[in-house]
Amino acid sequence: MTSAQRGRKGMAFGVGRLLAGAFMLVIWISASATGMLPGPTEVLVYLASMRPEELFAQVLKTLYNSITGFSLSFLISMALGLISHKSNLIMGFSEALSEIFNSTSALVWSLVLVAVMGVLSPLPPILVVAAVTLPHVLTATVSALSSADPGLLEAIRAVGAKPSDEFFEVILPSSVPLLVSASRVGLGTALRISVVAEAFGSSGGVGYMIIRSYNLADASGVLAWSVVLIALVLGLDQLILKPIERRAKRWLE
Amino acid sequence: MAGMMLRVSSVHKSFSEPVLTDISLHLKEREVLGLVGPNGCGKTTLLRIMAGLETPDRGDVKVMGKVGIVFQEDRLLPWKTLWENIALGLKYRGLRGEELIGKVKEYSEMVGLSKSDLALHPRKASGGTRRKAALARALVLEPEILLLDEPFTGLDVKARISLREALRLIWSEYELSTVIVSHQLEELLLLTGRVYVLTPKPARIAEEISVEGMDLKSRLDRVKEALYHILSRTPGSEEPLS
Ligand SMILES: Nc1ncnc2c1ncn2[C@@H]1O[C@H](COP(=O)(O)OP(=O)(O)O)[C@@H](O)[C@H]1O
Ligand SMILES: [Mg+2]
Repeated sequence: MTSAQRGRKGMAFGVGRLLAGAFMLVIWISASATGMLPGPTEVLVYLASMRPEELFAQVLKTLYNSITGFSLSFLISMALGLISHKSNLIMGFSEALSEIFNSTSALVWSLVLVAVMGVLSPLPPILVVAAVTLPHVLTATVSALSSADPGLLEAIRAVGAKPSDEFFEVILPSSVPLLVSASRVGLGTALRISVVAEAFGSSGGVGYMIIRSYNLADASGVLAWSVVLIALVLGLDQLILKPIERRAKRWLE
Repeated sequence: MAGMMLRVSSVHKSFSEPVLTDISLHLKEREVLGLVGPNGCGKTTLLRIMAGLETPDRGDVKVMGKVGIVFQEDRLLPWKTLWENIALGLKYRGLRGEELIGKVKEYSEMVGLSKSDLALHPRKASGGTRRKAALARALVLEPEILLLDEPFTGLDVKARISLREALRLIWSEYELSTVIVSHQLEELLLLTGRVYVLTPKPARIAEEISVEGMDLKSRLDRVKEALYHILSRTPGSEEPLS
């Protein structure tokens, strides 16, 4: 492929992405024309009228819930991944745990945790995020940590590497691309799941604002907070996670 | 025994089937020894046994000095630059700062790597450059016995010549005894004084040939003759040598 051809391909790809955005906007405008929902202008006006510190506080709350919950599942996964490496019992345990958690819906976790901890507890959104992202992150971690090239391990052992060198210089770096990809997917999921859990409690966050607007029959509010959520998920992914992923995979090119 | 660096005695090794049968050989001080044989006959396995990476089922290996091995696949860490790869063994030994930098510099220059080569990640480096980095990674630990597995395979003519020159320089500067496994006969015979010819799997030593004092053409003729001889006795095996 020449660079001109590659350029044209990239251009077409970019236009396709823009079209997807336009497509969603057209659907929204058509739906609002029937009077079923508020249109983009009403939502924009609503967004403009929000108090910035209120917007900021709720976004921060949701980010906090997602990142904390995700970090929890990441740490559990790393710990299990490390011992799975050495123990078949833990390997089996991790695998079955993934399967059980994978079969449990975010709705069930939210209801159970809110019922147990109460609507005012700040913990349910965090724990729901951890529970829902765990199977994916755990599976990725276990396979990433066991995918190190035995040839590389042997080569560094031949120049005097200790087991800790093997971990930090081969096992960990070779799992970075997989772990970063898994984290990118996991954090996106975390954001979308944390709002579900927030909706069931009354400790705040974007999810709580969506459900509160819904209960007040404030359709513009529901859509405005939903737009905030979409912007948050996309912004985090495109502006932060994607560049990190690209950096982490640089040596693969 | 004086002047002896490595001795392999009656070594047998099987995986799912026998690979090495009754291999005995020796490596003399400061010698460059060649091992040739058809593809898949067990040369790498033999080299790995010499390096202690594999244990023989029977027989034993005596090593009179520190061993360094260069694998056929280079096995450089892809997330580290060539410089960092070469420094690995020294770092594990606790070397830091000026001392580390000085050693890496010395051996990188010796194998003919430039400053800009050293800054590259393995994927960005040419095959010849990677092979030299793998060689330097083994050399920085100052081995007395150097084991090279197919060092010329996969390199173009220019890189092969450059590597050959690097090896000659290294041998003139350091006290090293070397075993080279190669089926690039010409490159090998330009460097070695003595070769063992192995039979197809399971490998036995078919012949030990001293080529000291012969010109390249006679060396090639002599070793090729030995190879044709063993191959003609194993019907069905095609000509595997370049
Ligand atoms: N770790 C191993 N497990 C099983 N079989 C092996 C192993 N290592 C080598 N072999 C087998 O031993 C034979 C010789 O291999 P090798 O020593 O790599 O040959 P060469 O280097 O001469 O091409 C091959 O048939 C190979 O499949
Ligand atoms: Mg081999």
